[in-house]
Amino acid sequence: MENTINFGIDLGTTNSAIAKFVKGEVIIFSNPQDYGRNTLPSVVSYKKDKITVGNKAKEFLEKDPKSVVGVFKRKMGTAESFKIKSINESKTPIELSAQVLKELKTFVNTGDTLDAVVITIPASFDTIQSNATKEAGIQAGFKQVVLLQEPIAASLAYANMKKEREMKDGQWLVYDLGGGTFDVALIKIKEGEMKVLDHEGDNFLGGADFDNMIVEKLVIPKILEKYSFSNLEDEMKSATGKFNAKYYVLLRRAEEAKITLSSKTSAEIVIDGFEDEDGNEVDMEIVITRSEFNELIKPNIDGTIDMIKKIITRNSLKPIDVQFTLMVGGSTYIPYVRSRVEEVLQIPANCEIDPTTAVAIGAAYYAATKPKEISKSDSNKKQTSISIKASYNKASKEKEELFAARITGDVTGLSYRILRQDGGFDSGIKKLSDRINEDLPLVDGAYNFFTLAVYDEQNNVVETDIEPIGINSGFGISGQPIPEDICLEVDDYDNPGKTRLKLIFQKNSILPLRSQGISFPLNKGMIKGNDDDFIYINVLEGSHLALPEANKGIGFMEIRGTQIKRDIAKGSDIEITISISESRDITISIYLNMADQEFKQTFNPKERHTPIEFLKEQVEDLSEKLELEIQEATDKEDYETAGALNKLKKEMETVSEETENLTNDDVTDKRYQLEDKKRKIAQEIDSATKNKRIQQVKAHYFEVKEECLKMLDENGNDHERKTYNDIVAQENAFFATNSPLKIQEKSDEMHSILSRIKWRTPEFLTGIFQWCKNNQTRMNDQTQAKSLVDAGNFAIESQNWERLSEINSGLLKLLPKGAEKEATTRIGFGL
Amino acid sequence: MQEIKKVTVKVPQAYLDFMNQIFEIEKKAANLKEENSIQRNLNKMKGILEEEFFKGSSTIGLTYHNPLGESYSDTRTDCEATISGTGVENLEIIEVIKPIIFYAYHENEKVIKVIVQPAVVIVQSKNSNL
Repeated sequence: MENTINFGIDLGTTNSAIAKFVKGEVIIFSNPQDYGRNTLPSVVSYKKDKITVGNKAKEFLEKDPKSVVGVFKRKMGTAESFKIKSINESKTPIELSAQVLKELKTFVNTGDTLDAVVITIPASFDTIQSNATKEAGIQAGFKQVVLLQEPIAASLAYANMKKEREMKDGQWLVYDLGGGTFDVALIKIKEGEMKVLDHEGDNFLGGADFDNMIVEKLVIPKILEKYSFSNLEDEMKSATGKFNAKYYVLLRRAEEAKITLSSKTSAEIVIDGFEDEDGNEVDMEIVITRSEFNELIKPNIDGTIDMIKKIITRNSLKPIDVQFTLMVGGSTYIPYVRSRVEEVLQIPANCEIDPTTAVAIGAAYYAATKPKEISKSDSNKKQTSISIKASYNKASKEKEELFAARITGDVTGLSYRILRQDGGFDSGIKKLSDRINEDLPLVDGAYNFFTLAVYDEQNNVVETDIEPIGINSGFGISGQPIPEDICLEVDDYDNPGKTRLKLIFQKNSILPLRSQGISFPLNKGMIKGNDDDFIYINVLEGSHLALPEANKGIGFMEIRGTQIKRDIAKGSDIEITISISESRDITISIYLNMADQEFKQTFNPKERHTPIEFLKEQVEDLSEKLELEIQEATDKEDYETAGALNKLKKEMETVSEETENLTNDDVTDKRYQLEDKKRKIAQEIDSATKNKRIQQVKAHYFEVKEECLKMLDENGNDHERKTYNDIVAQENAFFATNSPLKIQEKSDEMHSILSRIKWRTPEFLTGIFQWCKNNQTRMNDQTQAKSLVDAGNFAIESQNWERLSEINSGLLKLLPKGAEKEATTRIGFGL
Repeated sequence: MQEIKKVTVKVPQAYLDFMNQIFEIEKKAANLKEENSIQRNLNKMKGILEEEFFKGSSTIGLTYHNPLGESYSDTRTDCEATISGTGVENLEIIEVIKPIIFYAYHENEKVIKVIVQPAVVIVQSKNSNL
């Protein structure tokens, strides 16, 4: 157990943060619910069944003041309490602060038990207020609470950043302008001891006021210059006003502009999306310059400066007596704040620390110097043993999935919280009971993980036996796979005039499916209005390795010259998108770039779509193909294949004849029968010629295998032998697939074993080295090439093959890209 | 209890800015009255960010979701909301200033999505008395 406290908390009026001192550095914990932001809004919301702290509570602060409370720090130490309507109870500022502290505990992901902490308080806090803060800490479950004044904390952060153990005696100001409050303090350091001498503040001044001013004083007047509204400001600011939503949009944009103005000299605010009273669409861009903004906030900044002046006068100081003004709080990012303060007071502004986290960081540095005073027995918390039995669907296509759980064990005083891993859902902290139910929202197309954590009254995690909740909303387990490849028939550029299949969705892909647009240039042009010009789009089901004719057509579209808006040139792009719904509707959408036209059609596979003209063309193609294959087989004296193909010829002729006789408006089923026959013939051609391809790849496989075995015997290691044996063991299986592609894949695997071994043999390495030497003049860096060649010669002499292998890689890298490839293919390694 | 590590992914702001711009264009294109095919190019751009940009790595890509019209409650940490109008029950998202941006990647053959930008939205009660 650590002997010092180490944890520091900035319990702020508007925002809070927690930091820890670890081995000389301070880490600031990020808000797990707020995408890496380090702060937690100090706002608490109560609902019947749960308490929410932070951002989500803040969103409801203004509109639901009866159940959400903020800025309660101002009431610390008073007898005032806040009536919470939703739970019909009153909460004291201490209780509310304790909730914020408990929430901060959940930020800590280092596995520490938090029993002691340093909490910061404003310099203006009196004894009662300070004790109230301490009490909040105790209520949040801390056994030891040490208080530290905020200006001192900020100064400590600065001193530690400067790595000065002992700061020089003197005094400075801490100027803290945050989101909603302003504080300034005069700090004095004497003989290593820091003390707050004096302070001033304004509880109602901060960055949010500046956003409001931008909208009120700059944006609204500019809208009114251009558009007519009789009462725009009221319509915007009143909750029942017509443009209330727009007001909040503008506030957001104003805040963005304010942030932009910290780094740029001007920023735009876009105003759009509503109509004025004359029915004109409001659509304008307002440019706000930095000087306009500065002018706007000047009175407020000067007000803060007046407070500083009071401090200086009260303490009979001259500006020269003050070393610097340390800038803290998010609003001190504004350059004007820094420069104005500096200019008027003639005291340098010090902006060296991160203004948003400085106080928490300083608190952690201080915590590292404070010993823990907690007895061991005290810190051994009793653990409640809780068992959770959860039930939920592990796969779901719904937007939400119900999670239910039964809890055994004593649930008194315990609460739970469910979070989604991606940060998109937080149930809030809710009371734990014997049974809990929660609707968990799911992100489509992904695995959704949730964690359920159980907390005790002080938000310490209670050990339970629940596993992470995983719900697949992706296209994984729950979807149904497609039984065969879905392909698109495209031109075969290697065989002009022929077509081949392009794989769109692979077999076993899970429905629904949607392809990215597939673009390619058109192989012919089309003249607008010419009915003879057309494009076919044919979507087929069946192996993508087969012939197009062998597969089932499941979607077919044609675009004719009469349908297009303008002439389309050859080579212009066509873009095809195919999607299949879960109920197997196939939608083809075709986009012609040049005409900027889209054609879309949905096919229901129950209806077959076989235009006769297209069928005729396919049959013709197929019979040509058959002739060609017979010719090829005969030429190669492969009489077996030629014989098999010749048998198909007769059948082919019949189909050709019958198709030829079909009229284009035939309404019988004849076309479908012929299409089936055609497909069968195509499949048979495919399988007859496939044997030929399989023979080739098998022969290649055995060749590689033999060579590999030889190399293994001479130079192989155990790992390579195992890989080799694994492949051999699968031989029967992959031969049985009868897929040339599959067998080729295994040859390739075998080949890579071979090349790995080769890279170790002296002959091979010397061979490569020699080749590189011969090509030395082509290398990119001659000096390096020369030194590598020298080193290589030496490696060969000393028979240091490992070194030579390294040198070879180095040399190959020096070659131009193309040449490197040349080397690898010439010498025959690597695939 | 087995903890799930919450994954925090830092995507360079420029990518997010870029996506926010596409989102803005998409919003504007939807409002155009004249017939146009701007959406096609936007879909293409979105497709590139979703599938092409990070090819060859375990990253799949970036996508965004426009939550306009969805219901809102304080459990939705995927949105930063400002409530307009009166009433806080039955909230609906009526304006989206920035969309929810997801970062997707492969892990053990599973698709994992992480939110890298919560949406910035304006919500209003459906019962708001306007």
